[in-house]
Amino acid sequence: MGDTIYLAAAYGVFWLVSFVLIYSIANRQRHLQKDIAMLEQLAQEETSSE
Amino acid sequence: MATKAMLSQQEKSTAASTSAFSWGAILTVISGIFMLAALYMALVWAPDALNLTAPAERYAQRIFYFHVSSAWLGFLAFIVAAVVSILYLVTRKDIWDMWALASIEIGLAFFTMVIISGSLWAKPTWNVWWTWDPRLTISTICWLLYIGYIMLRGAIDNPDRRARFGAVYALLASFSVPLNWMAIRWWRTIHPAVVAPGNNADESMGSFGMSANIQTTLIFCVVAFTIFYITLMYHRIKLEQLQRRVDSLKQRLLYR
Repeated sequence: MGDTIYLAAAYGVFWLVSFVLIYSIANRQRHLQKDIAMLEQLAQEETSSE
Repeated sequence: MATKAMLSQQEKSTAASTSAFSWGAILTVISGIFMLAALYMALVWAPDALNLTAPAERYAQRIFYFHVSSAWLGFLAFIVAAVVSILYLVTRKDIWDMWALASIEIGLAFFTMVIISGSLWAKPTWNVWWTWDPRLTISTICWLLYIGYIMLRGAIDNPDRRARFGAVYALLASFSVPLNWMAIRWWRTIHPAVVAPGNNADESMGSFGMSANIQTTLIFCVVAFTIFYITLMYHRIKLEQLQRRVDSLKQRLLYR
């Protein structure tokens, strides 16, 4: 295990950073889609009340 | 009037991007398969480097495949950002600003991996985690330059000015890419130049011969990382389009 520790750590970092990046993009997309739905509803309500 | 036209154009482009969701799913599956295959080739299929005798050094050599591929992806991302920044400055089209931001954010993540994995490879090979060698120093400067890009964008509120300043900055920062590539070929450095060796063979430590299977694995990893970059760009640009749609809807509600 002592000899492979650097290899395991390096590949661990690759996958960790990749997953953090993918999760961050997916999470932000989900929040923005919720925001868009809310804002469109708000815009529609304002239009109907005018 | 012009603002209204701009807003509806943004909304149209976002709607077009959301309808093409299946492309994102296909790209994600393909890049996932390629990345897993690259992992298998790097850890199992590729042979040991013959001239490395110490077990720790021999295992650490396998970091090479993802280290070089991440560096390739980082360089590619920064060069793409420079090209689209020129396109932005010429055409002033918003899409090129989105491309530049997306590409730099992805490039920065992969360049972080290059620095960390390089340090993890250096310890068993050079017996130090870090040394202020020309290649390592220029890599750090390059990394900091692109962190500066993200900070610069965060500091400017006006979208047009942010895009303009960002484009000029990305263009200037891109000069660090060829400098970084050539650092191990121009100067005496401990960092080996395994791909396209230069004149530092006497000073470098940890270098190894590129057998046919090692070359095949490296090429496959570079292809897999390029597909991964295209996939990430697709999703990151889509995210940016959603962000701009939120901004335009907020503006529409505010100035009603």
